[in-house]
Amino acid sequence: MTVVEARGVSRVFPMPAGPVVAVRDVSLRVDAGDYVALCGPSGCGKSTLLHLLGCVDGPTSGTLFFEEHDVATLGDRERSGIRLRRIGFVFQRFFLLPMLSAAENVALPLAEAGVPKPERDARTSELLRYVGLSARADHRPSQLSGGEMQRVAIARALANRPRLLLADEPTGELDQATGEQIAELLGRVNADGTALVIVTHDPAFARRAGRVLTMRDGTIAAEERHR
Amino acid sequence: MSAFAFAWRSLRRQPARALLGVLGVASVGALLFDMLLLSNGLVLSMEQVLAGTGFDLRVGRGPGMPGSGWIIPDATNRAGALTALPEVEEAVPIRFGDGAVASGAGGDLAVRVVATTPSRHPAWMLHAGRSIASNGAAEIVINPNLARGEGWEPGDEVSFRAYCTSGNSVTPPVSLRVVGIAEFPFEDEGGLTVGTSLRDLDVACGGNGEDIADQFLVVSAAAAGTAAARSAIEEAQPGFTVAANEEIVGQLQGGLSYFRQISLVLITVTIGFAFLLVTVLLTVSVNQRTGEIAALRALGFSRRRVVADVLSESVLLVGTGCLLALPLGLGLARVLDRILKSIPGIPEPIHFFVYQPRAVAIHFALFALTAVVAAAWPMLMVARLPIAATLRREVVS
Ligand SMILES: Nc1ncnc2c1ncn2[C@@H]1O[C@H](COP(=O)(O)OP(=O)(O)O)[C@@H](O)[C@H]1O
Ligand SMILES: [Mg+2]
Repeated sequence: MTVVEARGVSRVFPMPAGPVVAVRDVSLRVDAGDYVALCGPSGCGKSTLLHLLGCVDGPTSGTLFFEEHDVATLGDRERSGIRLRRIGFVFQRFFLLPMLSAAENVALPLAEAGVPKPERDARTSELLRYVGLSARADHRPSQLSGGEMQRVAIARALANRPRLLLADEPTGELDQATGEQIAELLGRVNADGTALVIVTHDPAFARRAGRVLTMRDGTIAAEERHR
Repeated sequence: MSAFAFAWRSLRRQPARALLGVLGVASVGALLFDMLLLSNGLVLSMEQVLAGTGFDLRVGRGPGMPGSGWIIPDATNRAGALTALPEVEEAVPIRFGDGAVASGAGGDLAVRVVATTPSRHPAWMLHAGRSIASNGAAEIVINPNLARGEGWEPGDEVSFRAYCTSGNSVTPPVSLRVVGIAEFPFEDEGGLTVGTSLRDLDVACGGNGEDIADQFLVVSAAAAGTAAARSAIEEAQPGFTVAANEEIVGQLQGGLSYFRQISLVLITVTIGFAFLLVTVLLTVSVNQRTGEIAALRALGFSRRRVVADVLSESVLLVGTGCLLALPLGLGLARVLDRILKSIPGIPEPIHFFVYQPRAVAIHFALFALTAVVAAAWPMLMVARLPIAATLRREVVS
């Protein structure tokens, strides 16, 4: 079953010096349970494509379908709803809220989705257990290591059981060993049924994916299939 | 987590900034609240004092407000004629003057004199003893300041001289017996006042048989009401001016309109300060958090939700500040009132800053507006925040 599909999408940024084509006529389908890695040199359009897939940005041409819905026809509320319930985001810089504990950070999307408190608490502990941070539930982000923060961020992204998890260089700020642990954890997330699209510069990390797409100048220049 | 709980956490994240905001709003709010109390305080205070006397109409001879007109001859009879009107319960003639009483410590004490006739509705508020028994009983009522200062009480004899024309009178002192201790409306703070009968004042003035008053204080008959009493008096006494309490207050209000205009300008400036302070704090706070806000949006927080967070922060900041402003403003008003009341000649019961529920309501309404308007720009910033571009900028920078 298709989770998200891009059909000939382009994203052009009008700039004073002339338009910048960040993504050029890309077609791509991500099915349930897929694991896709986006690779390529800096500035080739990986993040832009990821943002298009995650419905935080719209294509300037082409069509994007999320679970069969043409995203361009949806308003901000519906798109927010899709992002809240169907998509998870993991960022290079974690973006945990520093004034909230790990558990509170994880619970945020649950509360936003209107999950009642008892269920929320149960789901939060389940998620923290899943990422191996039960003991750190009450710690603030400032009291956690980089790897731990990214685990909390992954737990937060999984809160509402999304179909699709998007991660933009999730190991970009971490050392090799910690990065491997995060890659491992994301592998487990995929194995448990969530479709995954990651952006990474790390070839070892990319090899974990079923499909590795190499981008160049906004287009998909090569596709490699593993498994 | 509700928008309010979220805003509370956001504020606590920068306690110094939140405290600065709350204290800023509180001090500005205290000033604003005082300005509100001041803009109407004098009028309100006057209204209260007038109503407290129990008289609802004042009658003077000639044009102009009662008390500023001509002397009324044949006062006792005229008062009797007014009292005889069915619309009037009682009319009391009153004459104001100056005099002196001989102090026990030697020398004279200058006193204000209020002369009237015995009435069911006395022109003063009795604290002890009784009021004067008849017109010419050689009795005197003294105010608490005098009673305390001289140790006089009912039964004591007092040597009294009246200043009946300009300059010291040459008339000899008369001996009056203290029968009561009473408070007089419109007394100066710490001032000395005595009350006696019109006849006794005339005797003290040399006994010319003058029966004169400055104005009549009137209580209208309950069944008739103020308006009916007023027209009945105007008909019975042409050439006299009748004023209800509201008219006297209205006159004062007109005279104080500059005062109110200044208050209005200061209120506007004060609110402007609060607005700027809160807008700056919120804008800085939002600017520092664009990455987090974009991340929350990417995670599915709706535009409405992140806007509500900013508004809640504003409401918390302004709400706490303007609540704190009330006790602060009341304390400040008390101090300022004391300073203004030390101006000589300000009657004791008159206040410049008068508490009024309306002022509290306006205070809250103005700050509610401030909270919303001050949050408008930061809310717009958050609403229009481009998610993808912001996330990218945060990583690139
Ligand atoms: N919001 C934007 N405004 C202008 N140019 C942008 C914007 N986002 C991306 N770009 C441009 O699009 C191209 C691709 O950017 P990006 O997708 O971030 O690349 P990558 O993630 O592969 O490093 C770059 O040339 C970048 O400068
Ligand atoms: Mg990128």
